[in-house]
Amino acid sequence: MIRIHNLSKSYGETPALRHLNMEIGRGCIFGLLGPNGAGKTTLLSIINGLTGFQEGEIEIFGLSLAGNIRQIRSRCAFIPQALAFYDNLTVIENLRFFAGIQSIRGAALEQSLDHAISVNRLQHLLDRKSATLSGGEKRRLNIGIGLLNNPEILYFDEPTIGIDPESRNDILTTIRSFREENKTVIYSSHYMEEIEKICDEVAIIHHGRIIRQDSLQDMLQQGGRRSVIIELYHPDPARLSRITGIMPELRLLDEERLMLPSQDSAGIAKLLTLLEEEQIGIRQIRYRARTLESLFINLTSHGEADA
Amino acid sequence: MEKPMLRAMLTKEFLLILRDKHALAALFIMPSIFILIMSMALKDTFSSDRAFVSYAVIDQDQTTISHEIASLLRENRTLKEYRQTVRPGKDLQDALNDDLTFAVTIVPGFSASLASEDSTVPLKLDAASDVQQNMLRLFKGELTGILMKLRIKTLLHELDPLLPGIAARTDARLMDQSSLITVQFNGLEESLFPTSTQQSVPSWIVFGMFFIIIPMSTIFISEHRQNTLMRMNGMNISIPALFTGKIVPYMVINQIQVWLMIGVGMFMVPLLGAPALTPGHSVTGIIMVSTGLSLAAIGTSMLIAVSVNSVEQATTIGGILNILFGAIGGVMVPKFFMPEAMQTFSNLSPMSWGLEGFLDLFLRGLGAGAVLTESLALAGFGGLMLLLAAWILARRTGNGL
Repeated sequence: MIRIHNLSKSYGETPALRHLNMEIGRGCIFGLLGPNGAGKTTLLSIINGLTGFQEGEIEIFGLSLAGNIRQIRSRCAFIPQALAFYDNLTVIENLRFFAGIQSIRGAALEQSLDHAISVNRLQHLLDRKSATLSGGEKRRLNIGIGLLNNPEILYFDEPTIGIDPESRNDILTTIRSFREENKTVIYSSHYMEEIEKICDEVAIIHHGRIIRQDSLQDMLQQGGRRSVIIELYHPDPARLSRITGIMPELRLLDEERLMLPSQDSAGIAKLLTLLEEEQIGIRQIRYRARTLESLFINLTSHGEADA
Repeated sequence: MEKPMLRAMLTKEFLLILRDKHALAALFIMPSIFILIMSMALKDTFSSDRAFVSYAVIDQDQTTISHEIASLLRENRTLKEYRQTVRPGKDLQDALNDDLTFAVTIVPGFSASLASEDSTVPLKLDAASDVQQNMLRLFKGELTGILMKLRIKTLLHELDPLLPGIAARTDARLMDQSSLITVQFNGLEESLFPTSTQQSVPSWIVFGMFFIIIPMSTIFISEHRQNTLMRMNGMNISIPALFTGKIVPYMVINQIQVWLMIGVGMFMVPLLGAPALTPGHSVTGIIMVSTGLSLAAIGTSMLIAVSVNSVEQATTIGGILNILFGAIGGVMVPKFFMPEAMQTFSNLSPMSWGLEGFLDLFLRGLGAGAVLTESLALAGFGGLMLLLAAWILARRTGNGL
């Protein structure tokens, strides 16, 4: 359904995507995972025809993107990270506007509206001004607008940023439901647990390159490791760096979280001793099963990223 | 552009404007208030009844002729008789130091002198120390004209026994200045001299129409920043379609502004005591000029909208540009008050072209043919701005939007 071959894109001298190759089949929920600035949004913009590229080929529905952009776009929907609708219009006015500019009319219009409204549970919000919606409701409207043209491919760019866990679950459930409609979804995010929840296939993108692409299951089986996450109580950075100097396998997840990429009891004991010596308090210790997060950290913090 | 698409774009734009109270105030209330205020404020300046010069007559002759001099001066509506009786000496000096400009003293024996062979007319003129030379010349000219009339009248009466009826036949013509000189104001008859309303309504129509720069550019920038433009691009909306969706609603808004403000000039301004607007007789002409102005204003708005990065920049640049165009183009100060060089310079402002078009229609009573040049120039200017805006937008976004 989507075939990308040797795609490269630079902004001036700065490469954004480097020799990307990717194939995505119909009905697949495809996760695009990468840290901020990895090139996910650039890739989505390119395959949506919103940004040009210097090298490579893209085929969607068997058509080359170059020269068929209008035809391809009419069968796709891009749900941007930003809330791309009008705050001063009501929910129904926004939906009608975006349907109107796609020349959806008559019975098809009513059908599209009904579908977008029911899938995103917007029924009770139709006459509310969009500015007055909650974060989660706004996100649902943002997705609803994308469904109006009954797209075969949906591109989601970090659609759950800044919303509460309940709304996030709602959105993930909605996206998962597209599988039943045989729609293809490309889901870009840096939230690994979301990718784990909904995706069939995953590509990890880092510094503009795809460093791993596989089915989620295979990726977890082959690469995911058991790990231990230790949450610390206001650690002194200098003391913490002494510990990571002694145990280089440790990964600093953030200022207060350490990850030991194994559940080896000797390693855990050594770490606990060092923390005690450095008088760093422990808030919590969590044992984690194989996760995308541990694989992701492994891949992006080792040489593989720059291979 | 398909109908549902156009309908959706128009509906959206209208809803956004109608819900923006500040934009509505700027587009409709502000220019209407300006029209009311300026028509009232400039009422006297444009009025032919306005007396600019005060004078007093000290009649020491007390004859029919001396009374006639006072009476003829009183007929001149640009002169105002001093509010109190002035006597020669200190009284006269005090009045001249106050706000009396001229004092005409008709000395005893003046009437006899006028009828005699003696060419010396003992009429004395005192002027305030700050009076300008051109004003003095004008007043002397007025007095000279009156004296000439009276001298001829006296001579004709002396000739009457020899040529019976000559005095009666000539008298009326002699006193009627309009039979001697026909005055036209730039093609307009003297009786149709521009009033404050005739001047202010077209000026503030033009200014108000250009005020769409602010709401139009701010809405566009918000669309850009909220990524709705990017989303529209993803839905295959091209730049021409996007621009059409902007041009049409704002042209309709501009038309509503024009007719609303004409209505204010015709019906509201008279309620406040200023003269009513007479909008000429060419509806086609008004539509032509206002359509041209619309395109110019919309083109300028779009150019600003695609060239700046924030609503604050658009508001500042749009506001400044509007005021500059207005100041240069004769909106703030009528062009005929400007020095010649400034009048030439003012032709650089598209507001000046629109204003001239409306003045042709409202003041000079001309038809559509007379405003064709201004309308085409404005439309051309607008088209050029839109092309430039489209080019910049295409460059900034790299691929269409």
